[in-house]
Amino acid sequence: MSKMKSVKIDRRSFLKMLGWGGAGTALAGCDLPTTVTLEEGKEEVVSYLMPEEYVIPGIGVWYASTCLQCDAGCGLHGRVREGRVLKLEGNPDSPINHGKTCMMGQAGVQAHYNPDRVTSPMLRKNGTLQAVSWDEALSELNGRLGAVSGDRFAMVTGTVSGHQAVLVSALMEQMGSSNHFAHETINARVWRQVCEDMLGDPMPRLRLDKAQVILSFGADFLGTWLSPVHMATEYAKFRSAPRGMLVQIEPKMTLTGGNADLWLPARPGTEGALALGIANFVIERGWNKVNVTPNVRRALAEYDLPKVEEITGIPVSKIKRIASLLSERSPALVLAGASAAGFEDGYESVAAAMLLNIIVGAVGETIEASAQFPEAALLARQGSTADLIKFAKGLENKAFDVVLFANTNPVYTAPEALGLEKGLAEVGFKVAMTQFPDETAMLADLVLPLASPLEDWGTHVAAYQAGGDPVISVQQPLMEPIHKDVRGFGDVMLGLLKARNKEFEQFADYYAYLKTAMLNMPGLADKDNKNDAAWNNLLQKGLLSAKPAKGKLSIKAHTVEVAGYQHSKEYPLHLVPSARLGLWDGRHANIPWLQEAPDQIAKVVWDSWAELHPKTAHELGVKNGDIIRVSSASGSIETQVYIHKGVHPDVVAVPMGQGHTAYGRYAKNRGANPLKVLNPITDKKTGELATHATRVKVSKVPRKNILVKMGGSETQMGRPLVRTVSADQFRRTEGEG
Amino acid sequence: MQFANRTSLNNAAAVSIRRLQAKLVQCGKPFYLLMALAVMALLPLTAMAELPVPSHITPPPGEHEGEHVPQPIEFPHDRHVKDMKINCMYCHTYARRSKVAGIPPTSKCMGCHKVIATDRPRIQKLTEYWEKGESPRWKKVHDVPDYVHFTHEKHIRKFVFDADFPVEDVQQVCGVCHGEVREMTVAEKKKPLNMGFCRRCHEANGGPGDCWKCHK
Repeated sequence: MSKMKSVKIDRRSFLKMLGWGGAGTALAGCDLPTTVTLEEGKEEVVSYLMPEEYVIPGIGVWYASTCLQCDAGCGLHGRVREGRVLKLEGNPDSPINHGKTCMMGQAGVQAHYNPDRVTSPMLRKNGTLQAVSWDEALSELNGRLGAVSGDRFAMVTGTVSGHQAVLVSALMEQMGSSNHFAHETINARVWRQVCEDMLGDPMPRLRLDKAQVILSFGADFLGTWLSPVHMATEYAKFRSAPRGMLVQIEPKMTLTGGNADLWLPARPGTEGALALGIANFVIERGWNKVNVTPNVRRALAEYDLPKVEEITGIPVSKIKRIASLLSERSPALVLAGASAAGFEDGYESVAAAMLLNIIVGAVGETIEASAQFPEAALLARQGSTADLIKFAKGLENKAFDVVLFANTNPVYTAPEALGLEKGLAEVGFKVAMTQFPDETAMLADLVLPLASPLEDWGTHVAAYQAGGDPVISVQQPLMEPIHKDVRGFGDVMLGLLKARNKEFEQFADYYAYLKTAMLNMPGLADKDNKNDAAWNNLLQKGLLSAKPAKGKLSIKAHTVEVAGYQHSKEYPLHLVPSARLGLWDGRHANIPWLQEAPDQIAKVVWDSWAELHPKTAHELGVKNGDIIRVSSASGSIETQVYIHKGVHPDVVAVPMGQGHTAYGRYAKNRGANPLKVLNPITDKKTGELATHATRVKVSKVPRKNILVKMGGSETQMGRPLVRTVSADQFRRTEGEG
Repeated sequence: MQFANRTSLNNAAAVSIRRLQAKLVQCGKPFYLLMALAVMALLPLTAMAELPVPSHITPPPGEHEGEHVPQPIEFPHDRHVKDMKINCMYCHTYARRSKVAGIPPTSKCMGCHKVIATDRPRIQKLTEYWEKGESPRWKKVHDVPDYVHFTHEKHIRKFVFDADFPVEDVQQVCGVCHGEVREMTVAEKKKPLNMGFCRRCHEANGGPGDCWKCHK
């Protein structure tokens, strides 16, 4: 015994020994008959009847297409092997994404191969949806459309562009209706309006790469804002020497906030006041590059720093630091996203940020006129929540007899308070064109199964054009439809148009329509082309660039009036329904890869959670994993607590995306949907849903969950796994690349 | 227990080869070749059937008693290979280009059998498939698990093209893993095609030893 005791085996040696033993076992196992798919004669192998010339089994061929996982319009290359698409990557020729994709783009194949696709048309008979043939479905639909007049017909889509937008407009025209609603929960509608009003260009090009400092009021440009993959590329240039500095002001840390050099949570809804305070200080010090009118100057003078500190909760010293950064590190760029725009005075807050841009001389330097695609009919009809609210109002007034939904799921994304479900119950005939049995489809009277984006034809003009010549991106099928009874969106629309206008009958299908239309485009016009060379080249490249309709920026700085901060006794906290690159607005909750990909900040998987500041959690007496009820005036949700310093103490942040009541096996009955409990408050100027304006109270529910997340521990247990430097040392070296 | 015995034998053989190689590296090249041949002849488990083994390959020891797998058409490899002297890669045309060797497309069968042996029942059955526009649903005989990345193309390149091995004798190379197909009707699995078999061959013939070369 004593001899054994003298042999010290530490943990490392023990693991080493175990490792060797394990290796020995593995080698001994090499010759054991394995049972994995090796049994002879169990699997089938079917040869081609007649192979295509260029097909070699086992060798992938890459085809160009367009990503439809969000509306940024990234170009794709898809690897196809033996007639199956296996892998998606970015199209290197695309000026938007330069050969890169985000994880949602990568996961496009899982939407395509999803086991819960709708595979045949379904018509509601005796209260239940029953499979019917396309003939029956379309004759029913055409009959209903024939019986409805003008504005009693409504169509609800997501962002739609290119020739699909042309077909949507054509159908609306044939129906004599002006009620096309484009709905996107994650949008930059307020930003666009401010840019249009103050710069004369709704979508100016943002030169992140030229900026030396970026001050972002909740614009999560690396995750969910405008064109994330493009912005990430520009951000990399911004960060390469000399290293640009990023300051992020937001109530809940986003992916962009996590990357910031300085992350500050202003009191929710006071971003505008902060921007005005910084602007005031910049002018006071004479650091402004552009002079403002006396009117604006007077209005700004009200925002002296102590007052701004009182409103925003950001110390005067920090405000001064930000202001000096903006002037020292020229050119600067100021952005404003959802958490600044999502209030009743959201427009004003974003305008305040834009005013700051004007004052520090960013306009013309880091904000350039956009290069717009010259064909106006093909431009993106961008989705908004203002459209959703207008649609809900219409339902309330019983204004529609037939509603056609396409590629959108407003029954899931609309706040309960908009009364969408109740309103829809009154609509005579509801049609859902969709790939999946989502919440909207479950309420519909007719469900038309659409081909997946990887099986369908289309063209897309991104709303945010990245610079250089603007492009139209071609979406071509990467494989035959998996399910034989689905149809492309364009094909269904063309079918509906043919039944109403003989002119469309010259096109056998949407492919024929698209080919004719594209070959008549200015950049491609080649009517004598007999051998399809132009068309084939276009498909190979996936993109057509056009000479831009060049815009010009004209500054119109005006006074901005932001509301002060109101405390509330009954509802002390703010609900932040945070958007994330991954599940997005909930449309990707049925993709297992995105469910299992940990949230970039909280690292939680497969579930919802509520982020609380440690101080708030302590006051409420809750710990990680405790279930809380988050109640607003419009309803309540229950979810688990995740305690995190990256939220403002007055905030409870619940990510969007979960809480589906339908939408297939991976999404259904998982987590909670914060959008449901939002109060129907809107931005006064644009009518956008004020997503961040809802006040809530939190109560403890006597239940507990084990918080499932990557990296269960917040510390490194004394092991230097990630090397760190002190903030002081970092400050000394920053800017040296 | 049988497996365990064989494993230890094979491991012992592999070890002795390595030791010999280590010694041989110090000697001249002709001596190396000579000794390598001698070692091959001495190893009891490397004894092959009548099919000659190309001199530049050290075949890994290991046999497998494959079952006779009934196929939709009892395709006679013997007739095509032994009697008609058709090259393996005439039909399995993808072997030199891709990871899979490929089952020949039905159009290739019909290229000959539109006119040849049209009175035989098997050819009539094939013609029936062709006229219906279908391919026979063959049963897989040789396979590796999905977590193994095996590519025919690299092996054919190394052992045939890079080695200047005459392409007309390619069945000797194929036979190292597929056995003597020229004596079979439908293919039967004659080699274990498991990791031990692969590793022994890689060790004896200088194949890569990194895990990720195959498991990627």
